[in-house]
Amino acid sequence: MRLIYATILAFVGGSVIAAEPTNEQIEFFEKKIRPIFVDNCVKCHGAKKQEAGLRLDTAAGLKKGTDTGPVVVAGDPAKSLLVKSVRREGEYAMPPSKALPPAAVAALTEWVKIGAPFPADSVQTGDAATLGKSHWAFQPVRDPAVPKSKLVADTANPIDQFLAAKWDQHGLTPSPPTDARTLIRRVSLDLTGLPPTADEADAFANDKSPNAYERLVDRLLASPQYGERWGRHWLDLARYSDTKGYVFTEDINYPYAYTFREYVIRSLNEDKPYDTFLKEQLAADRMNLGDDKRPLAALGFLTVGRRFSNNPHDIIDDRIDLVTRGLMGITVACARCHDHKFDPIPTADYYSLYGVFASSVEPKDLPIIGDVLRTPEFIAFEAELKKKQDLAAEFATKMYETALAPFRTSENIARYLLATKELSTLPNTNADKFAAERKMNPTIFDRWRKFLTEAKKRNDPIFVPWFVASEVPEKDIAAKLATLPKTVHPYLLTMLSDSQPKTLADVAAIYGELLAESLEPLAGKPDPARAALANVLIGTDAPTNPLPAEADKVVVIATKKIFRGLRNDADKFRSNSPYSPPRAMVMNDAPQPTEPVVFLRGNPNNRGVKIPRQMPAAVGVRKPFVSGSGRLELATSIASADNPLTARVFVNRVWMHHFGQGLVRSTSNFGLRGELPSHPELLDYLAKRFVGEGWSIKTLHRRILTSQAYRQSSRVLPDAAARDPENIWLARMNRTRTDFEIMRDGFLFASGALDTKVVGGKSVNLFTEPFAKRRAVYGFVDRQNLPGTFRVFDFASPEQHSPQRFQTTVPQQSLFLMNSPFAMSQAAAVAARPEVAQAKTPEAKVTAIYRIILGRNPTSTEWATVQPFATEEAMPANAYGVWAQLAQVLLLSNEFAFVD
Amino acid sequence: MSTMFPSRREMLARCGVGMGLLGLAPLLAEAGADNSNPLLPKLPHFPAKVKRVIHIFANGGPSQIDTFDPKPALLKYAGKALPVGNLATERRTGAAFPSPFKFQKYGKSGIEVSEIFAHTAKHIDDICVIRSMHADVPNHEPSFLLMNTGESRLVRPSMGSWVTYGLGTENQNLPAYVTMCPGGMPLMESQNWQSAFLPGIFQGTYVDTRHSDPEKLLENIRNKSLSGPAQRKQLDLLNALNRMHQTARDPDPRLESRIASFELAYRMQAEATDAFDTRKETKATLEAYGPGEQARSLLTARRLVERGVRFVQVSHAPVQPWDSHDDIEINHRRLAKEIDQPISALITDLKRLGLFDSTLIIWGGEFGRTPVVELPQPGSNAGKVNGRDHNHWGFTVWLAGGGVKGGTVVGATDEFGFKAVENKVHVHDLHATILHLLGFDHEKFTYRYAGRDFRLTDVHGRVVKEILA
Repeated sequence: MRLIYATILAFVGGSVIAAEPTNEQIEFFEKKIRPIFVDNCVKCHGAKKQEAGLRLDTAAGLKKGTDTGPVVVAGDPAKSLLVKSVRREGEYAMPPSKALPPAAVAALTEWVKIGAPFPADSVQTGDAATLGKSHWAFQPVRDPAVPKSKLVADTANPIDQFLAAKWDQHGLTPSPPTDARTLIRRVSLDLTGLPPTADEADAFANDKSPNAYERLVDRLLASPQYGERWGRHWLDLARYSDTKGYVFTEDINYPYAYTFREYVIRSLNEDKPYDTFLKEQLAADRMNLGDDKRPLAALGFLTVGRRFSNNPHDIIDDRIDLVTRGLMGITVACARCHDHKFDPIPTADYYSLYGVFASSVEPKDLPIIGDVLRTPEFIAFEAELKKKQDLAAEFATKMYETALAPFRTSENIARYLLATKELSTLPNTNADKFAAERKMNPTIFDRWRKFLTEAKKRNDPIFVPWFVASEVPEKDIAAKLATLPKTVHPYLLTMLSDSQPKTLADVAAIYGELLAESLEPLAGKPDPARAALANVLIGTDAPTNPLPAEADKVVVIATKKIFRGLRNDADKFRSNSPYSPPRAMVMNDAPQPTEPVVFLRGNPNNRGVKIPRQMPAAVGVRKPFVSGSGRLELATSIASADNPLTARVFVNRVWMHHFGQGLVRSTSNFGLRGELPSHPELLDYLAKRFVGEGWSIKTLHRRILTSQAYRQSSRVLPDAAARDPENIWLARMNRTRTDFEIMRDGFLFASGALDTKVVGGKSVNLFTEPFAKRRAVYGFVDRQNLPGTFRVFDFASPEQHSPQRFQTTVPQQSLFLMNSPFAMSQAAAVAARPEVAQAKTPEAKVTAIYRIILGRNPTSTEWATVQPFATEEAMPANAYGVWAQLAQVLLLSNEFAFVD
Repeated sequence: MSTMFPSRREMLARCGVGMGLLGLAPLLAEAGADNSNPLLPKLPHFPAKVKRVIHIFANGGPSQIDTFDPKPALLKYAGKALPVGNLATERRTGAAFPSPFKFQKYGKSGIEVSEIFAHTAKHIDDICVIRSMHADVPNHEPSFLLMNTGESRLVRPSMGSWVTYGLGTENQNLPAYVTMCPGGMPLMESQNWQSAFLPGIFQGTYVDTRHSDPEKLLENIRNKSLSGPAQRKQLDLLNALNRMHQTARDPDPRLESRIASFELAYRMQAEATDAFDTRKETKATLEAYGPGEQARSLLTARRLVERGVRFVQVSHAPVQPWDSHDDIEINHRRLAKEIDQPISALITDLKRLGLFDSTLIIWGGEFGRTPVVELPQPGSNAGKVNGRDHNHWGFTVWLAGGGVKGGTVVGATDEFGFKAVENKVHVHDLHATILHLLGFDHEKFTYRYAGRDFRLTDVHGRVVKEILA
C-alpha cells in the first residue's frame, strides 16, 4: 500500500499544500476529511460551483483559497478561516444551513494542525487520460521482436525464446521434457478435463513419430469435451447459475440458463473467433445473425447474474463488474460511489456504462431458439402450460376487479374527488398521510390527483364542470354552472341542470352517481357518451384502474399469495417440463435510451451531472454511443484490435489455465494495483498474434501447448527452487491440483458411467441419488444455496465474476471422498467392471484397477505394497469388498488428485 | 498456482493489509509450510480476551420494549396516539401499545428485564444491554443481511466468515464456523452465513438441530459400508501409496498436506460425532438447559466452542419466528420460554468450564418492534390488533462474556422506545465492536477483492467504548 501511494505520488507529482503528505496523512485525509468536504462543502465549493472562488475538491483549490486569499494556514487552526467558519466564530458560519457535528469540526482542526495535507490532484480530479497514458496496460499492444538466447534454438517456438531471455537474466536453465505418460495426462486433463485411458497412454508412449504430440493436441482440441472443459472456465467468469438468488416470492429458477451454457460450449468447440464470441454475448440482439438464432442465447452472459431482490442498480452494477473486470481486467465497479482510488476511472465512466445497461430491457417472454418439433408430447405440454397460465391470468383479472370495485362506487368517487380539492387547500401536506388519515387508499388517491391534473390540461369535457365548481366560492357555484359551454359532456349538462347543485359536495355526488352508473350493464345499442364516462373508471389511465404493479398495493396479501401460487405453478411447470423449448435469456435495447447521470456517492437520489453513454476513457477512444442503448458499440469497442486490454486479458487467462498461473498474476486486475506482467513482451506477442490470426482460441492453445515450456518436467530442482521459488520464470512446469469437475468426472470416467455422448442440455442435480452421469459442467448451480460439496471443493462462487479458483486442502474434502455415497458407489462400480471382475488372479485384478484409475500398470513396489491388502485373509469382512476398497484408495490418491 | 492463493507473495500482500503479518509470518516462516489450509489458527491485530463467538440470532425481530427496554411511559397513552406521532415502518401502525409483560430490576446493577427473560436476567450483571441499536430499513431481508454480513443488498462475507478468515480455528477436526437452526433455515437462507468472495471454506456449515443424531447433522461423517478397522486399513494403504508417490517427487507441501487431510478427516469422524452428540451430557446439564430444540442448539453450541470451534450461530427457528405482527403476548412469551432457560444455562455452563471470559455471546434480532400497535391488514396479521410492526429505528442487542462490561446499559431509546436517541449504535458499530473484542481493528481488517479492500464494516463503524470492560 505504501509503495503504491509512493508510486502514484511519484509520477503525478502535482501540488500539495504543505510538504508532500505522508501515507498516514493521506489516509487521515481520505478517511476523515474528504468525506466532510464531499458531504457538506463541495456542493458550493466544488467542480460545479465555486462560491467565493473557493473549491475544496482539489489540492490546488485549497491552496488558492477564496478570491480574497487562502482559507487555511497550515499548522495554525486559529488563524485558518476554514476552521473559524466551521466553528461559526468568524465572519462566515459554514456550512450556512447547519453546523457540522463537533467530531467533524475537531477532525478539521486536527487536519489543519498537522499541516492540512491534501493528496496531489491525481486520480480524483486530474485528467484520467494523462495518467492512463503511462500505465503499461493502457498502452497499445506492441509487436515485440523475438529475443535470442543460447538456451533455445532460433527456430524454437517463440514462447520458448521469450522465456529463455528471462532464464538467461536469472541464471536458470529449462527443465527437461516430461515423460510421455505424464504429458498425455497433463494435456488431456488440461484440454478436455478427462484423463486418457491406459490404452491411449500406451499408444502415445509408444508412438515415436515426430508429430505424435501435435496430433494429440489436435485430436483433443477437436473433441467435444474440449468445449465442455473450457466452457466451464468461461462460466466461472460469467458467474453462471441456474437460479436468481433471493427474489421474494417469484420463481427462483432461471429455466433457460442452460441455453447460455450450450452456446458457450458450442462456440468454443467451433472455435468461434473470440471477438465474435464477445460481441454476441454483449449484443447478439443487435447483430445480423442470419437464420440461426441460437447465438441469442449468448446474452445470458449478462442476464444470468444475481437479481438482488430485483434492485435494478445492483443488477446493473453486477453487469458492469462482469464486463469490465471479466473482459478487460479493470475494476470499474470501484467507481460506483467515488472516483477510482488507483486507476484512471472516474465515477462518470461508471455511469456511462450504467447508462448502457439502464437503456437495455429484458423481455418477459423470451424468444424460442432452434426448431421445435411439434410432437404429441410437445403439444400436450403446450396445452397444459396454457391451462395453467390461463388459470393464473383469470384469477388475476378477478382479483383486481374485486380489489378495485370498492373504488368505483358512487360514494367513493365523490369522496375521492372532494378530497383532491381539500388537499389542494392544505399546503405542505403529505398526500399519502392525508389519504391514510381519511381512510382512503393512497395509491388510488394519488392516481385521482394525477388524472385530474391531466384532465384539466386537456379541458376534459367530463370534468370541466368540476373544475369550474371547485375554483369558485361555494355561493357562486350554481351561477357558474348555469353558463357551462356546450362542449361539456351531455349527460353532465343534463344532470347538473336537473338537480341544481348548491355545494361542491353536491357536484361531487353527481359525478359519483353518473360515473358509477355508467358501469351498470345496459341492454341496447352501445352508447359512446356513456362509454366515455365508464372510461373514467376503467380506461387505460383511469384512476381506479391501475396497472398490476400498482394495483398490487390495493389487493389484500392473502389473495396475492394465492395468485403467486398459481403464477409460480405455471412458471415451474414450464421450467421443469422436458418438452419446454429452449429460449434465449436475451436483453434488448429499450425503446428510449436512458440519459445517465452520475449518482453522487452511489446514491440514486443524489443526482449529479449528465454524462453520455460511452467507453471508459482509459481504454477506448471517447465517442458517445449513439445507437440504441449503446451496447453494440460497447461490444465492438471491447472486441476491437485497438482495445489495449481485451486481447491481453484473454491470452493471459488462457495462459493461466495452461500453466497454473498468469503472466499477469492478478488476472482480472490489470490496473495500477494489479501485478505487473512477468513477461510483458511475451504477453504482447501472444496478444498481437491472437488478434492478427483472427482471434482463434484454438490457434492460441496450439501455440502455447507446442512450446517446450509446456512440455517441461514439473520436478523442482534444488537450484531452481532457490533461484525462483514461485516459478515466476517458468523454468519448470507447475504441478497442479485438479479441481472439482476433474475429480468428480474422473470418478465417473473410472467407473465407466460417464456419459460423454450428448453435448449440451438442461442442468442436472449432481448430488442426489441416483447420481447423474452427465459431466459436472451440466450440474445445477443454485447460487442461493450452493451445495456443500461445491463449496468444500472450491467451486467458483456464482455470486460474481470468478477469475480463478481457490485451492484449499481441508478434511471435509477427504470426508466426501472417504464416505460419500457418490465416492463409494463409483469405487464399487470400478470393481464391478468386467476388466476387474473377470480377471482371474489378485495381481490381474490390481493391474486392471490401476489401469482404469491411473492409466498405467502398477510398479513392482506398488504391487508389493498392495498385495497384503488384496490378499490378506484377516481383512475385516464386509459387503463392500476388497476390490472396491482398493479402487477407492486409488481414487483418493495424490496421483489421481494432482497433475505433474 | 502453487497454493490456495495465486501466490504466496500475493497472499502476503492480501493478508498483510488485512490481518497483519504478525499472525501469518510465523506460520509461513516454518520451513516448507503449506498455506493451503486456511483454517490454521492465526493471531489477530492485538491481543484480545475473546477467542470464540456464540451468536444467538433471534431472527424475526424481538420487541425491545417487551424484553430489555422497559417503557412505562407507554401506559399513559395506552390505546391513544403517541404525542410525537409514529415513525414510518413497514406497515401501518396505530395507538400506543404498552408491554403486556412485567419488568423488574435484577442483580447489583438493577437493570430492568422483562418477566419473559427471567432466567437470563439472573446473569444481568454479566450482560451489557445495548438499547440504542438501529438499522437501515424496516424489512426483514435487508436487515438479516445487514446484521449478518454488514451489507443489506450486495453479496458480502458473513461476520462468522470474516472471523474464521481472520483467526482460523483451534480444532482442525471440526468445522470452524457452524450455524444451527432447527427444522430449516432462517430467511435469506445460506446468505446469512455466506463466505461471498472469501474462499468457500469460510462459509458456515449449516446444521439442522431438529435432529439429535450426529450422523444426521453432518454430511459424510460416517462411512455406511465400512467398519472402522476396515477404513483404517484402507487409509493405511492410501498413506503408503501416497508416500511412495511423494518420495518419487520433490518435496511439495501440497502433497504433504493432502496426505495429512485424510488423517484429519479420520479423526474428525470420531470427534465431530462426539461434539454434536448432546446425549452424552449429564442429566444435570440436560435438565439445566431444559427441553426443546433451542436448548439442544445452545448446548451443542457450548460443546462446539468447548472444542475450539471459532464461531457458532444459533438461529431460533426457520424463517423469522420472532416476527410477532399479532398475538405478541402469546408469541413472545412462547419464544422467550424456548430460549430463556437455555441462555441462562449456557452462561452458567461456560463459567463452570472457565470459558465465559474468552467467549463472546451476542443476543439479538435483525431489528426490534414498534411500541405502537400494528393496524389490521388482511393476510398479514390475521386481522388482529395485538401485535407490533418491524422497527429499525431502535432496538436492543446484548453482549456477554470476554471483554464485555457486564451489568451495563449502553444508549437509550426515546421515551416510548421507538427510536434510538442516546449514544446510538448502528449495526456497523456493533460489528466494529465485536471485531475489536476479538482483537481486530475493523478498519484494517480487510480483504482485497476486485480491486478494493473490503471490510465487514464497509466504510462505517466505530468501536463503542462503553461496551468494553
